[in-house]
Amino acid sequence: MQQDSPIDIQKRLPLLAAFIVLFAIVLFFRLWFLQVVKGATYQELAESNRIRPIKLRPPRGIIYDRNGRPMVENVLTFDVSLVPEDAASLEDSIARLAPIVRMKPEAIQKALDDAEAVRNKYEPVKIVEEAPWEEVAAVEARQDDLPGVIVEPEHRRYYPYGGMASHQFGYIGKVSQVQKKQEQADTGLLIGQGGLEKVYDRLLRGTAGRRMIQVNAAGMKVKDLGIDEPKPGTDLYLTLDLDVQRAAEEALGDRAGAVVAMDPNSGEVLALVSHPTYDPNLFPRGISPKDWVKLSNDPSHPLYNRAVQSVYPPGSTFKVVVSLAGLDSGKIDPHDTVTCNGSLRTGRKVFRCWKRGGHGVVDFHKALVESCDVYFYTMGDRMGFDYIAQYARKLGLGSKTDIVLADEKPGLVPTAAWKREKVHEPWYPADNFMNAIGQGFLQVSPIQAAQMIGAVANGGVFYQPLLLKRTRNRETGAEKVFAPMEKRRAVFAPEALEEVRSALLGVTSEAGGTAHGAATPLAPVAGKTGTAQVIAQKVPGTKLTESTQDHAWFIGYAPAKDPKIAVAVLVEHGGHGGAAAAPVARKVIEEYLLHAGTKTAQ
Amino acid sequence: MLERRLLSNVPWGMVALIIGIAMIGLTAVYSATYTAHGPSSLFTKQIIWVCLGITVMFAALIPDYHTVGRYAYVLYALSLIFLLLVAFVGKTGMGAQRWLPIGSFAFQPSELAKLSLVLALTRYFAEDPKQGGYELKDLLVPGVMLLVPLVLVMKQPDLGTALMLVFTSSLIVILAGIRFKTVMTIVVLGAVVASAVFLVPPVRHKIWKSLKPYQQKRITAFIDPSSDPLGSGYHATQAKIAVGSGQTTGKGFRRGTQSQMAFLPERHTDFIFAVIAEERGFIGSSFLIVLYVILLLVGVDAAKSAKDKMGTLMAGGIVSMLTLYVFINIGMAAGILPVVGVPLPLVSYGGTSIITTFLAIGLLLNIRSRRFMLFY
Repeated sequence: MQQDSPIDIQKRLPLLAAFIVLFAIVLFFRLWFLQVVKGATYQELAESNRIRPIKLRPPRGIIYDRNGRPMVENVLTFDVSLVPEDAASLEDSIARLAPIVRMKPEAIQKALDDAEAVRNKYEPVKIVEEAPWEEVAAVEARQDDLPGVIVEPEHRRYYPYGGMASHQFGYIGKVSQVQKKQEQADTGLLIGQGGLEKVYDRLLRGTAGRRMIQVNAAGMKVKDLGIDEPKPGTDLYLTLDLDVQRAAEEALGDRAGAVVAMDPNSGEVLALVSHPTYDPNLFPRGISPKDWVKLSNDPSHPLYNRAVQSVYPPGSTFKVVVSLAGLDSGKIDPHDTVTCNGSLRTGRKVFRCWKRGGHGVVDFHKALVESCDVYFYTMGDRMGFDYIAQYARKLGLGSKTDIVLADEKPGLVPTAAWKREKVHEPWYPADNFMNAIGQGFLQVSPIQAAQMIGAVANGGVFYQPLLLKRTRNRETGAEKVFAPMEKRRAVFAPEALEEVRSALLGVTSEAGGTAHGAATPLAPVAGKTGTAQVIAQKVPGTKLTESTQDHAWFIGYAPAKDPKIAVAVLVEHGGHGGAAAAPVARKVIEEYLLHAGTKTAQ
Repeated sequence: MLERRLLSNVPWGMVALIIGIAMIGLTAVYSATYTAHGPSSLFTKQIIWVCLGITVMFAALIPDYHTVGRYAYVLYALSLIFLLLVAFVGKTGMGAQRWLPIGSFAFQPSELAKLSLVLALTRYFAEDPKQGGYELKDLLVPGVMLLVPLVLVMKQPDLGTALMLVFTSSLIVILAGIRFKTVMTIVVLGAVVASAVFLVPPVRHKIWKSLKPYQQKRITAFIDPSSDPLGSGYHATQAKIAVGSGQTTGKGFRRGTQSQMAFLPERHTDFIFAVIAEERGFIGSSFLIVLYVILLLVGVDAAKSAKDKMGTLMAGGIVSMLTLYVFINIGMAAGILPVVGVPLPLVSYGGTSIITTFLAIGLLLNIRSRRFMLFY
C-alpha cells in the first residue's frame, strides 16, 4: 500500500494558476493594443498591404546534341495578363485593354470566365500570349490606366528543328489536375508530357522564383519589393548527333518508318528517327483541340515512336539469327550445300524462294549474301524453331532494350508452347519454314534490330541504349556524366561470328549481294536486308497498293572490321530492303564517318 | 471499467468546454482553407480528426490513470522509436523531416513525444519522492529522459517542439519540487553557458551555423521584422496585420482579407489564431482566450483535487504543456514571441496534434473523475 502525500506539489499549483492568469492578461492587453488601439492603422495596412507574388517561371533546361549544339531551346516572350481581383473596375480595365491588344472586350471577358473555374484567387489570367512588342510597351506605358493588367515574362519552349527527333524529345504541356500532386507541380506549369521532356522533367524543370510587387487598393503597382530569382533547369547533353539525325531524317524523307543508329561500343544512340513526325512547337502553348484531333486520328499515327513502340516481322534480317544459331551450335557446317530451285515443298505446301529461278547450289556464305530462302527453310527445318528461338532471345529479341523512352514494345519470339497457348494450334513444319526467314509470328522493333546487329559487330556485348550523355547545371556548372551501361554479354564461337560477319560484308560488296545500296567508298559496310511481307502471298497479276506493299529493312554496321556505328532502318511499305532501306543506312553511315566528333557548337 | 459512479463524476461542463473550443477551431479551419471551388478537403479531414480525437478522449477515461502511469515508460520508448524512424524514413516538408507516412496520412511523432515525456517524467517523480526537494544530482535521470527526444527533435529540425520539451520539463520539475539552491545553480550554469554562447564568437558562430537558414531568418526577423519583410519577417508582419485589422468586432466569417487572400502563411496550422482574430475581432479572440483560461484552471483544479502524487503530477504536467502550447502559439500570432512552429491545441489543423491533445485532455478528465476514489 502506497499513499504518497500530494500536498507538497499541491502547494505549488497556485503558481501554475497564477502563471496562466498572468499570461492571459498579457495577451489580453496585447490584443487590445493591436486590435482596438492600433486597429484602424492595421486596417489601413491590410488595405494597402496587397503584396502580389508574381510567379517567375524558370527557363527549362536546354537539350543539346552530343557536340553541344542546341536541339531544344527556350525563347523569352511576354504575356499580357489580367488579375481580376486587382481591377478597381473590371469593365473599365477590359475596355481600355481591348484596343491595345486588338481584341474585342467580349473576348477578354470570355477568357476570364473560362479561367474562373480552375484559377486560384489573385492568379493572373493570360489574355494575350506571346504579345507583340508594341502591345507589351503600350501596356507598360499605360500602367496607371490599367489596374489589374500585368505583363508576365515567360520562357517559351522552342524546338528549332520542328519535327526532327520530335518523338525522342516529346513535348511539354500544362500539368493536368491528376498530375499536379504526383508531379509536385502547380497550376499552369508546363511539364514534360512525353519523350525525354517527360523522362527528365524533374531535371529540366528548374525551380520557380517570384517577384513581389506591392499594389494599392485599386490594384495598381506601387512598388517592386524584390525578386527571388528562379533557378533554371539542368541542361541535357544527349548522345544524339545533330548531323547524323538530320541525315537520317532526310534520307527517310516522307516515307513512314524508323532509323536507329548506335555506337556499338557503348550503346550511345546517335540517331533515332520515327516518321511521320509532328511539330512539338504545337504543344507548349496548349495544343488546339482541332490540331489534337488531327494528330491523334491521323491514320499514319504521327504520335507513334516507331523506333521503339512499333514492331514488325524482321523478314530476312532474321537470317542473321538463324545463321548464328546454326554455326555456333555446329548444326550448320558452312561448307554444306543446298540446291535451290526456286522453291521447296513440304507436305502439300510449296515455299518459294524470293528468286524465282532459284540460286542453284549454295553454301552458307552464298546463301546469306544472296539471302536464299530455300537454304534457310532447310536450316530452319533442320534445327527446329524452338532451338533458333533460344538464339533469338540471346540476341535480345523478345525483350525490351530498356531505353528510357516510354512504352517500348518487347516484340515477340514465338515457340511451339507459345503457339499452343495463344493460337491454340500445334507448331507445324511450315512454321519452321516461315519463321526461319523472319515471317510468321516474329515481331521486332527497330531499336532491337539495331541493338542486335550492334552485338554481332562488337562480339556479343549488349548495352542499354543510352540517350543522355551528361547533364550540366547552368548555375554551378556542375556536370554529371553517364557512362555506358553493359547489360550482358552473349558468348558465341569466334569462328561462327567471323563466318557471319564475312557474309554480312559480302551482302554489300559481292556479286549477288542484296544491299549494294548500302555500300560507301568511305568504309566497308556489313549488313543484311530484309523484306517483310505485309500480306502472305500476292495474288498474281495484281499490283500492290502502298498499304499492302512489303516493309523494307536494313540492319548493318561500319566499318566492317572496326565497327563504329550500327544502323537499323525500317521503311514501312517501302518494298525491297535492298532498294528502299539500304540507301538510307548508307547516308547515315557516311554522315557519321565523315563528321563524327568534328562539328561542335559555333 | 467505466463504472456508473465514475461516469457521474466526469466533469461534463469541462467536456462541453473542450468540444466548444474544437468547434471554434473547425470553423476557423473551414474559413482558412476555403478555396475558390468551395470547402477544402483539409476541412473534411479535420472533422475526421476531431471526431477521432473525441473518441480517444473518452477512451482515455476508461483505464485507471495509474495504469497509464505504469505504461508511461513503454509509451516513451515507443515515441523515441518513432522519432528514430522519422530520422531514417520520414517525409520531408518545409525543409525539415518531421512526418512518418502511414498510408496516405502523415504521422508527426514529435507531437506524441511531448505527451509521452510528460507521462514518463510524472512517473519518475511520483516514484522517487525527495524530502525537501530535488537536488541537481537527482535530476540526472530526468535530464537524460529529456535530452534523448530533444536531440532527435532538434535533428529534424523542429525548434518549436524542442523548446516545448524543455519548457514543459522545467515546469514539471518545478511542480515536483526542487530546492531553491538547485534552481540557483541551474540559473547560474545557464547564464554561464548562455554568455559563452553569445559572447564567445566561435561558439556562437557554430551554434548559429547549426540552425537551418529559415530558423536563422526567423530569429533575426523577430528581432527586426523589417529586415526582411518578404521572407521570414513576412510571417510575423502579415500575422500582426491580420490580427490588428480585425479591430474590435472582426471582419466577419470568411471575410478576413489577410487570411482569404493567402497573404497569411501557415494560416490553417500555426497561424490559425490570426485567422480567428482577423475574422472575429478583439471580442472573438479574447473570448477564445477566456475559454482556454477556464479550461486550464479547471485542469489546475483537477491536479489539486487529485488523490495522490501521481495524479497531481500527471494533471499538473499536462496542464503545463497545454498552457505553453496555447500561450506560445497566441503570443507568436500577436507578435510578442518569435515564430516557432507550435500548434494551437484543439484548433490548429493537423491530425497528430489534435489526437494527442484530446488524449492529454482525456487523461486530465480521467484524473478529475477519480478524485473521490480510494486507491490501494
